[in-house]
Amino acid sequence: MIEDFHQLNPYSLEKAEKSRMLTEELKELTRFHRERCPEYANFLETVGYDETKVTAPADIPFFPVRLFKEFDLLSIGREEVFKTMTSSGTTGQRVSKIFVDQKTAMLQQKVMLRILGDFWGKGRLPMLVVDTPAVLKDRKSFTARGAAILGLQFAAWEMVFVLNDDMTLNVDKLREFTEKYQGKRFVIFGFTFLVWQHFYRELLRLNQSFDLSEAFLMTGGGWKKLESEAVSQEEFKRRLRETCGIRHFLDHYGMVEQTGTIYAECECGHLHASIYSDVIIRDHRDFFPLPAGKRGIIQVVSILPRSYPGHSLLTEDEGVILGEDDCPCGRKGKYIQILGRMKSAELRGCSDTYGAEFR
Amino acid sequence: MIPMGLSSDNLTFLVGNLERLRQMPETPALPAFSERAVNFLASLSRLLLRDKRGSVDVKSYAYWIRRASLETAAREGVFQNRLGRGVALHIAPSNVPVNFAVSMTSSLLAGNCTVVRVSAKPFPQVDLICEAINLLLDGECAGMRPYICVLRYEHSGEITQALSSMCDLRVIWGGDRTIETIRQAPLPPRAVELAFADRYSIAVIDTETYLEQNPEEIAKKFYTDTYYTDQNACSSPRLVVWLGDRIQEAREWFWGALGKIVQRDYHMQSIQAVDKYSAVCALGMSRPGVRYVPGDTLVVRAELDRLTADVMDYKCGGGCFFEYAARDLEEIVPVLTKRCQTVAVLGVDRERVRELVFSRGVRGVDRIVPLGGTMELSFTWDGFKMVESMSRYVYG
Repeated sequence: MIEDFHQLNPYSLEKAEKSRMLTEELKELTRFHRERCPEYANFLETVGYDETKVTAPADIPFFPVRLFKEFDLLSIGREEVFKTMTSSGTTGQRVSKIFVDQKTAMLQQKVMLRILGDFWGKGRLPMLVVDTPAVLKDRKSFTARGAAILGLQFAAWEMVFVLNDDMTLNVDKLREFTEKYQGKRFVIFGFTFLVWQHFYRELLRLNQSFDLSEAFLMTGGGWKKLESEAVSQEEFKRRLRETCGIRHFLDHYGMVEQTGTIYAECECGHLHASIYSDVIIRDHRDFFPLPAGKRGIIQVVSILPRSYPGHSLLTEDEGVILGEDDCPCGRKGKYIQILGRMKSAELRGCSDTYGAEFR
Repeated sequence: MIPMGLSSDNLTFLVGNLERLRQMPETPALPAFSERAVNFLASLSRLLLRDKRGSVDVKSYAYWIRRASLETAAREGVFQNRLGRGVALHIAPSNVPVNFAVSMTSSLLAGNCTVVRVSAKPFPQVDLICEAINLLLDGECAGMRPYICVLRYEHSGEITQALSSMCDLRVIWGGDRTIETIRQAPLPPRAVELAFADRYSIAVIDTETYLEQNPEEIAKKFYTDTYYTDQNACSSPRLVVWLGDRIQEAREWFWGALGKIVQRDYHMQSIQAVDKYSAVCALGMSRPGVRYVPGDTLVVRAELDRLTADVMDYKCGGGCFFEYAARDLEEIVPVLTKRCQTVAVLGVDRERVRELVFSRGVRGVDRIVPLGGTMELSFTWDGFKMVESMSRYVYG
């Protein structure tokens, strides 16, 4: 029962016990979705799922995350859909559609709050969002950026968007916000690239100083885009520390398909799995789980998805498990590093991929 | 008439130049299998076969156009009343480097002034072949100069339009999307078009015959049919149909032997494992009766409990196979749709397949070849006799 997890500190379970609890919950969820989502039932038949052979979370079939782009997958009636989250595919083709009901939405919020609370303390904090309010315009269908912001909204005491619609920095709002919460804890949230481009660079250019020493800079969306501009994660932190006086960094890894169970960065720079979710790294050559230290394809399991079969997903990201139960920060569970999205395959053959050349 | 919009600013010539391109509408067409064209291709063959830099695909192209092979092709058809149509525009695909030359070959033998647009993607094979062509045009084959332009241009509807408006024949490779895009440029009233759409291919294997063969040799052949082009050529089998009684035994040998070669020779990118697994899952979700066979991801396969046409929509490439155990050859009929190009056979009489095609009047199957032969170059492709289709017949 998921209530059992709510009784525990979100980073308190050690390997054996976590595996036991997760396995039970995931088996239950697999059964639940099989009964309600016919396509998922077919998927289980295709991969030859046999519940009696499941002894660990890694034994739960991993569902290819991209298939949310090709199928509408629901374990609820359409009338129960509370919101639909979409993720913008990197290639700008089809988008993932995730159908969330009230129950799953509540779970996502609760778990996100519990996880974040472990880092910035109990209670809601004021939040400065490095994005434009336009990103939330369509309330029924959100992009990954919108979904991430929305997922945090309830965790915020107050949410202030610091970019104008044309992505320029609204300096007045920034000043107002920092003055209002001077000396208090607050959160700055944004996708890494936006923070760099539209926040850090603007501040650098304006040459005005704001007191951000109590802020938690929460980032998401990965580092690829910045790294392509030769800005490493370390460089990013160093510059924001020096220029803006930021001391607390909270990067995270997560996806629309498993909103709520984010992998948040601790003081040691490690991304942690909470008790509600886990990471399995798989070898691309045979899909076998790999031990810590080996690079492979990331599979994520989460016990939150109740309205769509998203509880065990094979992502298209690569990563590595750095350790388990032994991070110096004291948090139990696996901690990981994300190595980025896998490169799409370029195949020989006579049909051009999507006639791309002539588009 | 030379249309507006063609200039040396937007066209890069690998062979020929703007002036020759401009002259093409006025250049006399040649008869089919003209001495000039045959001599040129035979010399090209000689040059390429001698060149140590040539990769396997260049070599097999060179072998295909050697004089003896051209003479055989000339004897196999009736060509004496055939003449080139005029200017032929070829749009070559972006991911089979040698294809541009294959398309050009039939076009020259048909007697056309041949313009080939090659992909913007650079390939050493393209450079090598063009280098040899230029050497010949500058020397012993100067008489062919007016007949060949190989060029590149950045995707531009305007240039495609300009080139299309001067051609008498347009040949489009690259599949459905490319065809759709190129067809936005209309052709002159008399012009004809050959369009090579997306196709798929299948293999049919008789277990008894297979089990008498050397598994390693068969695996090598099947590797050439599939992995050699990332199993992404139209002619690469994606479905294997088993006939006969000893299916389980044959399967184990077949995939086992293939796996060893793939392990040794094929470089798989990690995302391909996900691509292939996703394709199998997607098919499995769309209908019951699909069983993923767990194992290594170099050879991904799924067993089907029945054959339906939609199976072939789940395309992936890179070593992703569907398998079906048939009691009778007739059972393959549902997959012989108009998208079905090649049936590769082992231990199954080609005549039996052909009979099935004719007796059922199916829309697909242009080619029935022995297993291992799907990659062979031919003057017949996708149901077209290439030289005939690219020339016109003068009656009387």
